[in-house]
Amino acid sequence: MTVTDPYGLVLENEHLAVYIPATSSAFVFRVRSRINRGYERFHYGPLPIPAGIALPSYAGGSIPVPASGVMPGTAYIPVGSGLSFPLSGAFDETDMWYVPPEWRDRLFHVRAELTPRWLRVELEIPKGVAQRRFQRDKVTVGIEKAFGFSRGCVEAIHFPGIHYGYRVGNDTNLNVWTGVDFTYAEYVVEIPRDAELIFNVLTRRAPSLWMTMPVAVYDATIRDAFMEAYGIEGFPLYPANRRAEALRKYEELLGKVKV
Amino acid sequence: MPSEIFTLKGESTGTDASGDFPLYSDLLYHDSAPYTPPTKVIIPFGMKAKIWAKRLAAEGETLFTISWAKDATAASPAWEVLDAEKLSSKGELWVEKRRPIVIRSLTGKEGFKASWSQPSTTPSKAYVELEVEITDEE
Repeated sequence: MTVTDPYGLVLENEHLAVYIPATSSAFVFRVRSRINRGYERFHYGPLPIPAGIALPSYAGGSIPVPASGVMPGTAYIPVGSGLSFPLSGAFDETDMWYVPPEWRDRLFHVRAELTPRWLRVELEIPKGVAQRRFQRDKVTVGIEKAFGFSRGCVEAIHFPGIHYGYRVGNDTNLNVWTGVDFTYAEYVVEIPRDAELIFNVLTRRAPSLWMTMPVAVYDATIRDAFMEAYGIEGFPLYPANRRAEALRKYEELLGKVKV
Repeated sequence: MPSEIFTLKGESTGTDASGDFPLYSDLLYHDSAPYTPPTKVIIPFGMKAKIWAKRLAAEGETLFTISWAKDATAASPAWEVLDAEKLSSKGELWVEKRRPIVIRSLTGKEGFKASWSQPSTTPSKAYVELEVEITDEE
């Protein structure tokens, strides 16, 4: 039984488990509705890289961006400068995927596909906080390192109250025109008030789409956004043989849930 | 798996008997100096360049070559010819490859270029189009 449509987006009345590695906890959502059914694809256009800014280079030094939407050869977007996607009329016109914590019943599931597909990409969550690590905190990896990134595509759940930054790198010598296509769902969600169901989803006995977020660093902004939006920081994972303990904990947490 | 296919087009000067093609594409920005058209392509680290097709044309005898270098970022790369086609006189040649020319990036510095060579007494226009895929698939 599949819980997703051909786009990989969760169907109505199915469940989405969003796992946060940094806390070993997950949110379980039931998708009550999908607002953008039938128009899941959004050709956004060029990446919002402003002309004239200087970007660091894999070869050392920096390179100015020659024109809006162009990613210079050997350049990458540094930590703290991750891209947001402006949209006129949006709640925050500088970041179309941002909604405030009080819009807690809204959740964006976003897959960004970049042109050209060889561009390195990773997410800052929140904006300014690089999340890729190796050997605990021993090594920070990411687009400016040899690994710790994906190429051409990144998928994430955008939580209310958190601005994300998209970092992009171009490790060819070619100055390239860029583009981004989004496949997204605007979910209307609730957290099911059933500890047994949550346990079954998190032990994978009940079907769900399991999304692991690239969150290795639990920044205070993330914690504050979770608490403000949902009243909890997620449901901790328990092994299947500690069911009674898990249900007690989940009942306690469900008493605090806001959505 | 990431994969991008694009067309690279090059045109010789018509006055030089040999040289490396400046490369143009809808993907490439080259509107103003110092952003001039590249004459080589550095392959992204860990990926491969696959050249699926070549379309060659010239006003006269021309040798077309595709060369690669282990370190194409060097000031003077050591280019090695991977592929050559020769037009013995004015004409055109289309080569669609069922199996592509593959160039791997094992260090992030590998690259390739396309060049022309003509009799020194009769340089003329030469044109090349390459269908290139950048991919991490086998």
